[in-house]
Amino acid sequence: MSGIWIYSEDSMIAKELLTVGLALKVSMGKSVGVITLASEEQDAFIAAGADKVCILKGQNPWPESYAGAVADFLSKEQASVLLVGGTLRGKDLAAKVAAILKTGLVTDALTVGYVNNGIETTRLIYGGLAIRTEAVSLPAFVTVPPRTYTEAPAMAGRQGEIFTVEVDNTASGVSVSNVCPIIREGADISTASRVIGVGRGFSKKEDLAMAEKLAQAIGAEIGCTRGIAEDSHWLPSERYIGISGQKVKAELYLAAGISGQVQHVVGVRDSKIIVAIDTNEKAPIFAAADYGIVGDLYEVLPLLAEAIEKK
Amino acid sequence: MPRILVCYKWVLDEQDIKINPGDLSLDSSKAKYKISDYDKNAIEEAMLLVESKEGSVDALTFGSDKVKQSLKDVLSRGPGKVDWIGDTAFEQADAFVTANVLAAAIRKNGSYDLILCGEGSSDSYSQQVAPRLAAILSIPAITFVQKISIDGSRIIATRKLGDCTEVVEVAGPAVLSVLPEINKPRIPSLKQVMAAAKKPSQEVKLADLQLGAEELQPKTITLSVKGYVMNRKNILYKEANQADNVAKLVASLAQEGMC
Ligand SMILES: Cc1cc2nc3c(=O)[nH]c(=O)nc-3n(C[C@H](O)[C@H](O)[C@H](O)COP(=O)(O)OP(=O)(O)OC[C@H]3O[C@@H](n4cnc5c(N)ncnc54)[C@H](O)[C@@H]3O)c2cc1C
Ligand SMILES: Nc1ncnc2c1ncn2[C@@H]1O[C@H](COP(=O)(O)O)[C@@H](O)[C@H]1O
Repeated sequence: MSGIWIYSEDSMIAKELLTVGLALKVSMGKSVGVITLASEEQDAFIAAGADKVCILKGQNPWPESYAGAVADFLSKEQASVLLVGGTLRGKDLAAKVAAILKTGLVTDALTVGYVNNGIETTRLIYGGLAIRTEAVSLPAFVTVPPRTYTEAPAMAGRQGEIFTVEVDNTASGVSVSNVCPIIREGADISTASRVIGVGRGFSKKEDLAMAEKLAQAIGAEIGCTRGIAEDSHWLPSERYIGISGQKVKAELYLAAGISGQVQHVVGVRDSKIIVAIDTNEKAPIFAAADYGIVGDLYEVLPLLAEAIEKK
Repeated sequence: MPRILVCYKWVLDEQDIKINPGDLSLDSSKAKYKISDYDKNAIEEAMLLVESKEGSVDALTFGSDKVKQSLKDVLSRGPGKVDWIGDTAFEQADAFVTANVLAAAIRKNGSYDLILCGEGSSDSYSQQVAPRLAAILSIPAITFVQKISIDGSRIIATRKLGDCTEVVEVAGPAVLSVLPEINKPRIPSLKQVMAAAKKPSQEVKLADLQLGAEELQPKTITLSVKGYVMNRKNILYKEANQADNVAKLVASLAQEGMC
């Protein structure tokens, strides 16, 4: 079997995956290629370490419609490994390709290595309560969450093979419309050094102003639990933290009105100091915190903002 | 009048699982089972769709011998019938095996206009089974759906992908995976719980699905599972006077160099 291949509809993530791909290249002694829909990035991939770039060219712009084409290509290449950027679109495509080729697929791998002639991965299960180590015999497919690795740096003078494959991806009977682009509002909480997390302990949107006031006082960004973003729509989706949302690695994470279910905590537990404010002394967030105040956030937050401003 | 199938997984409630401090193994001896969280949204969505359009809702699950315990729970949430596969093969099953088993059961037992899954299961959260199922059945998949409408044989779904949405329209049958924000699952009423006891459930034997050994052989093998331990200071300020608590917290944060 030959070749390590990388696919992402997002070229930035494809370059992050080259970092893992190049490590596997060393341990497996196989070439690394990138399958892309973005021909304008072909030279950048070669510069970042790809030996080959395959540009898939179809009629249909919907990335998900390339699953069949990616499967055909991998099967012709007899690929040993496919690394897919773990966006939601990427996970959709990866699962379809794995089903077509009857291959094992690990979702959201934290680590990917070559052990005993196969791929060994770790990933979280039970919402982040535990880590599972898995072995997948080749061919092995893995999705890797965005921002797990830094982009492979460009090197001058690298050469590689670039080719285009014309494919038919006009999936019959599927039509896609009203595609709204991603609008990023404000700073990226995944790189913020201080973050205040807000949860269902807030009873209305206007009350978030209290968290904002404290955020100003300590220089923090606002993040939230899934429900605040997806059910209440008080904050945009990229502000929610957890297993299915953003990962925060802050110097200080302060949770207000958040119960601390593992699916949320998994997104903040790499932070240096964790502080929690919750009325319920038994809330699991206190077990995940360095410092906690048992109390009503409506009383505590204004006092805390005032005390910090005075300092 | 759509015929809808909902796939649900019977999972351990992760809130009841403890981590043994010594070897970090998991202790699930006190853990209860539940219908995987987001599958409750899938069941609710199926019910909402047939309440406005008539039609029928069946449920399907593949689990261990414990899966029988789930039948009453799922039926009390509205489906008219449940097919279940309880087999030890489930213990090692990965998404490859699970999708093969579910696809075989669907081929054997019925034709559906719409197959609903959750966005991901609460335990493994692999987010694979729905798109795999669609690929095996050679029908379209629409994943991460926050809104569904049915117009004759057309299925119109709004997907949410981060902060981007798009509307996907397909001719059924199709497999859809739903996001939890699509609805708020109802708590079954006493009447529904009583009615559930009278609804049909059908055991499907794995051996009757005519799957080859290859299709039942998992592609990913678990080597180890270890609990994730957090070492935190766990200092709690819980005086009645919040000004005191705040003063203590600020002093602690100052000591940490945070303010
Ligand atoms: C597969 C799966 C994936 C998930 N992924 C994520 C994820 O990525 N991110 C995520 O956040 N969640 C996720 N969840 C949901 C998660 O399990 C929890 O349901 C969610 O995090 C709870 O949000 P919350 O803490 O805001 O609300 P709640 O659990 O309702 O907690 C509210 C807290 O506020 C406290 N409170 C109430 N009033 C006050 C007051 N006046 N002052 C102070 N405290 C008060 C309460 O005591 C309580 O502790 C996922 C779930 C599943 C099943
Ligand atoms: N064993 C199972 N039985 C029935 N449905 C399942 C099973 N496993 C997964 N599913 C369905 O597939 C969805 C995604 O699961 P997963 O791919 O494990 O994240 C779940 O929300 C269920 O709807």
